[in-house]
Amino acid sequence: MTKNEKFGLVERFLLDNKNAHYRIAYSYVKNKENALDIVQDAIFKALQSIDRLGEIKYLKTWFYRILVNTSIDFIRKHQRVTVMDNEILDGYLPQSEDDPTDMDLNDAIDALTPDEKSLIILRFFEDLKIEEVAAVLGENVNTTKTKLYRTLKKLRVEIGEGI
Amino acid sequence: MKQINKLKKEYDDIEIPSELDQMVKQSIQRAKASKKKHTPLKQWSIGVAAAAALFIGSVNVSPTLAQSMANVPVLGAIVEVITVQTLTMDKETYQAELKTPAISGLEDKGLQASLNEKYIEENKELFKQFKADVADMEEVGAGHIGIDTGYEVKTDTDRLLSIARYEVNTVGSSSTTMKYDTIDKQNNILITLPSLFKDDSYIEVISSYIAGEMKQQMADNEDISYFAFEGSDLDFQAIHSDQNFYITADHKLVISFDKYEVAPGYMGVVTFEIPSAILGDVLVSDTYIQ
Repeated sequence: MTKNEKFGLVERFLLDNKNAHYRIAYSYVKNKENALDIVQDAIFKALQSIDRLGEIKYLKTWFYRILVNTSIDFIRKHQRVTVMDNEILDGYLPQSEDDPTDMDLNDAIDALTPDEKSLIILRFFEDLKIEEVAAVLGENVNTTKTKLYRTLKKLRVEIGEGI
Repeated sequence: MKQINKLKKEYDDIEIPSELDQMVKQSIQRAKASKKKHTPLKQWSIGVAAAAALFIGSVNVSPTLAQSMANVPVLGAIVEVITVQTLTMDKETYQAELKTPAISGLEDKGLQASLNEKYIEENKELFKQFKADVADMEEVGAGHIGIDTGYEVKTDTDRLLSIARYEVNTVGSSSTTMKYDTIDKQNNILITLPSLFKDDSYIEVISSYIAGEMKQQMADNEDISYFAFEGSDLDFQAIHSDQNFYITADHKLVISFDKYEVAPGYMGVVTFEIPSAILGDVLVSDTYIQ
């Protein structure tokens, strides 16, 4: 495969999966402008370092890793402005019609650390296999499994069998 | 798990902004544009340049190494002519690449040094001129100019070394000039055209052969043309006494004309191999040309 063919494949992948990439970024920052910035940044970083992508079959996990790292970097840099105590926030927000237990879970996910968030987004929202999640996060499969169980326990979610 | 699924649905419903598509395409274009600036080829050539520098350095520092390299069949030729210096400029509309050859391994160090110095000086001068041209261009606005010099080893036998150096000037269209140096490696002589012959009569002999050959070629092939007056008479009258030439490995004299010198531009640099038989009477000896 020539460099141009590789670039072409990556380009195709970025165009075809842009919606998924946007949703991942959005899940971290919950804000359209920031999510767009992150996707843009990740695309740029990926294409700049395309030579580090060894085999094309790792394209997805390779790009997800760049995207997740870019998102987490973004949150770390902008952490100061995003934190607001939930109890204070509730006072300003209109009462939700939703099932209260679901609201709690959503809040709970938002309260997770960025790394824990990555696990939930990739495994359950993006339907990645546990091996793929591990590859994206650069950890071994068992560590990833353990962390995922711990995170779910924190969320008090009953998952039964088969993470 | 049901709760997670509900969240997954919310996740899938995250609204995709209309700008996303445009933004992704732009980012790819931007990355493409900046990628071009440092292609892997450049990194590769830095490696080669470093290796070449090391090689030239060690060949120059150690005559013993140079000697032993010269005896290795493949490396022999490399030791004799190597690129010693490359001057480059790579701006959007201004391109320059000047490769300077250097000869090493000649026994006569004086001859070797004077040739090498000449090559370096020539390219330095060209590069200086080119930079001045670029400055002029920039003053009046923008334009495309380019210069490309390099060399080619035409002949490399036990006895002879012929190097052709070319200079391509690009200003809209391009012009090419060739310069040749032919060296007798055994006697350490830089061979000039007059030195090959007894007297000036060679000019007449070679010129009339070339004129005949030009007419013949034009008659045989419509695609070939040389400058001619009023459709019939050739513009070409005679070669210069120091006309560009080189000697082939099988001892034939080749006369070379620059682009535009005797023919329209599309003919490029034209060369004529002179049959040794017609030179027999005017040659000093058959050492070089047979």
